Amino acid sequence: MAAPTSGSATAAKPFDIVATYNELLRSDPDLTMPIAAIEALVLLLTHSPSSTISETLDLLEKSTAHLKQSIPNPIGLSAGTDLFQRYLITTLQRPGQLGPAGDFNAIRAHLLSNGRLFIRRAKESRDKIAAFGRGFVRDGSTVLTNGGSRVVASLLQKAADEKGGPSAVRFRVIYVLSSAKGSVDNSGEPEGMETVRALRAKGVPVATIPESAVAYAMGKADIVIVGAEGVVENGGIVSRMGTYQIGLLAKAMDKPFYCVAESHKFVRIYPLGQYDLPIEQRVIDFKTEEEVADEAKQQQEVTPVVRPVNSADSSDVVDFTPPHLISALITDSGVLTPSAVSEELIKIWF
Amino acid sequence: MGQLLSGLWHAARAAGGAAYGIIAGVRPSLSQRAATPTTSEKVAHAPPPPPSCNHVSPRANPVAASTSSMSSQPQSTQGPAPSAAPPASTSTPATSTSTSTSNSASTSTKPPKQPSSKQPAKPKDNAAAASAADGALTPAELKKKAKAEKAARRARERAEREAPAGNAGGAAPGTPSAKKGAAGSGGAGGKDAAATPGQQQKGQKQAPRRGSAQLTGAAEVKKKQEDKNVAVFGHLYGQQRRTTVAGAGKEVHPAVLALGLQMRDYVVCGSSARCVATLLAFKRVIEAYTTPLGTSLARHLTTHLSHQITYLSTCRPLSISQGNAIRALKLAISSIDPSVPEADAKAELSDFIDSFIREKITVADQVIAGSAAQKIQDGDVIVTFAGSSIVKQTLLTAHKQGKKFRVSIIDSRPLFEGKNLARTLANAGLDVQYSLMNGISHAIKDATKVFLGAHAMTSNGRLYSRVGTALVAMSAKERAGGVEVPVIVCCETVKFTDRVALDSIVVNEIADADELVIADPVQQLTGLPDPAAPAATELKKGKAAPPPVEPSTAAQKVPSPLTDWKGSANLQLLNIMYDVTPAEYVDMVVTEMGSLPPSAVPIVHRMSTNL
Repeated sequence: MAAPTSGSATAAKPFDIVATYNELLRSDPDLTMPIAAIEALVLLLTHSPSSTISETLDLLEKSTAHLKQSIPNPIGLSAGTDLFQRYLITTLQRPGQLGPAGDFNAIRAHLLSNGRLFIRRAKESRDKIAAFGRGFVRDGSTVLTNGGSRVVASLLQKAADEKGGPSAVRFRVIYVLSSAKGSVDNSGEPEGMETVRALRAKGVPVATIPESAVAYAMGKADIVIVGAEGVVENGGIVSRMGTYQIGLLAKAMDKPFYCVAESHKFVRIYPLGQYDLPIEQRVIDFKTEEEVADEAKQQQEVTPVVRPVNSADSSDVVDFTPPHLISALITDSGVLTPSAVSEELIKIWF
Repeated sequence: MGQLLSGLWHAARAAGGAAYGIIAGVRPSLSQRAATPTTSEKVAHAPPPPPSCNHVSPRANPVAASTSSMSSQPQSTQGPAPSAAPPASTSTPATSTSTSTSNSASTSTKPPKQPSSKQPAKPKDNAAAASAADGALTPAELKKKAKAEKAARRARERAEREAPAGNAGGAAPGTPSAKKGAAGSGGAGGKDAAATPGQQQKGQKQAPRRGSAQLTGAAEVKKKQEDKNVAVFGHLYGQQRRTTVAGAGKEVHPAVLALGLQMRDYVVCGSSARCVATLLAFKRVIEAYTTPLGTSLARHLTTHLSHQITYLSTCRPLSISQGNAIRALKLAISSIDPSVPEADAKAELSDFIDSFIREKITVADQVIAGSAAQKIQDGDVIVTFAGSSIVKQTLLTAHKQGKKFRVSIIDSRPLFEGKNLARTLANAGLDVQYSLMNGISHAIKDATKVFLGAHAMTSNGRLYSRVGTALVAMSAKERAGGVEVPVIVCCETVKFTDRVALDSIVVNEIADADELVIADPVQQLTGLPDPAAPAATELKKGKAAPPPVEPSTAAQKVPSPLTDWKGSANLQLLNIMYDVTPAEYVDMVVTEMGSLPPSAVPIVHRMSTNL
């Protein structure tokens, strides 16, 4: 419903929110999805000549809906757009010069400048997290981690920096590399290899294992640190496929399981389980030989097993790790227990 | 399917209003059995009527019987000390009458076999004799006389009981409890002065009366001594629920009087319903209120309201939501500027009540139903317990959205709140399966989600709700094999409390244990007769069962084994109202402020009360 209207709205202007968003993500490898979304929305506001508050909000709403529809996995993204929208509304409702009674141009300028400030702060939050989290990496410990999370990478590098000096306390890393074929990046190597190289360059011993060896390797690990795409309201996390099983294994072996996430990744969704996420993932795809043959006929390439994974770019396939598996969340607003997430979210929203 | 249908059928039959006419004739033996235990129990329970009751006038007789049956219940549960109370107070104003009746009593006890044959023929003569002896008596005096007589009998029994232990301690328990008896027995003036003569008199009476008392008294006294309160919950047996409006303060508004009885009889039942009803009644109280001279509205209205509140809480302990609403209302009252004219202040308060109901309950319910319905997907099997209004609204909302799902309602005795829910949902076109708690393991087997209502959410995230809820939540979570079933609680933030509940023992509510004896839901609707009620009242009046109630007499032959539970030794009944579900068994709390984990309850409560 929203797509055609927003399409026409954006088509009238030369500005394309989806393209901007993708471009932002591509150009800056350090950018997270929510921040890219916020930045895209700020850019949208600068380009659009809206002159009233309701027009602005309307435009924002339509573009957000459009953006969410065009991206296969909008969970991380929606954290950013929701936050921005919420921020706009509270700014506009506030009494005073910037409130509904004030001059709209001043409001607009204020919004844009604050939006940029917001982005800058969000980028800085990664350092803050690294500062909070490096205490968790102890001398002589072995850290198990997975995926291509930039926060985890910066945390580990920070810890390595600290400990690279003469009085070095050392730690080792077991890096779980995704075995799925889709998760190779441009250079043809699995996601996370860059971090592995960076760590090795700093003198940190890194072992890389496939996902199937997690249970085998868990006994050697002392703590587990993972990243997240979104932190949901009950304190669980939505993150790349495979995190849930690591969480389950860590719980089974009584290893602390920490999640590292910026607080702008907190999303107002409340999944009750794996299949209650607001996105459609065709991970489990039942087929008979007949159907496989049919599809093979339709498409020339015959890759039946990997096909569903490939269809939705496998880096976008996520699972949900419930809060009872998580020991703590390391965020830029401190180290939180899962149950404190809802408090943080409520603080933002009310 | 068979179970489904039969469940529905039962639900439809028993659920209420419209079905009464049809049911009354063909109701199965279940309901008749419901009627008989009460009546037979009452009859059996009305303290030993034969000898002394006979020669009171027939008009006084039922009064005596019914009052004694009513008052004997609290007394027997409260133990021996209070049971001696009425005698001390009531015997005093009517000492003369009691002596005269005791004389005639002693004459009538001499032919002990006579009463049964005498009763139908003699009442007129007895009445005449009684009135001749005491002069012309007004009905009130007759009543008083009956009471005095009963009191004398009680005192005698007590004296008898205490006789072996020594007469010295006899006077002590009577005096403190005399105040308690005063409320019921209008004319109890000069208690202290009269207490001693009453005692002496009792002592004199004891000797001639011994024979008759031993016939019925001795055995009964033994039974009454036994404590019928379940020890672990002993602290919860406060005062008994109020039985009549008699004795309510004159400040209590009629709307509140009526509401109190409705709440007592579960006509207004459920946390939200009680909250709304209370606020609406208070709105009428405020409308009818005029500030007395010399005080300001802000100061006096709160005390005026607290009379209403005290009355309501004697009918049934206040719910958490009621408490929260009352607190908000009192805050609104006390923050009214004294300089504001009274009419304006009252209008302001009315508006406050209206907006409170709208914001905290009506609209909140809509928001909750909307967001909880989003969690229902095609193919779901929703299990719910008892009859939560908000769950009903959620399920109906989801149904209106065109979702295809089944509902399995689990219900329990004695309130059977799920029956109404089952009927409403079935009428709306949903697939409903109705089963009792006994079938929980079966019902939970194919469940995909559990929706629960709440009486309150405590600050440690625990759910305080109708007894049985914890069992449902736990069976959903502990289901052997397969995936856990998410347990979703729908609850308005007005039901949040800053109290902490660790178990269901410290804070709870105990309802009348007789509700467990009755096989049917208690529906003594004030004014509206229960199909079982006519039979009950007729039997209570002592008439022979008329032809239409024939089946009931048949059923009477097989009374519930628990009928005479108060009289039987080593037997205690416990009718607890609520239980506490640990936070680990609740996955999600849907409120009007969003979906929360149970751990966020205190935060939201703090925020919603500070706003």
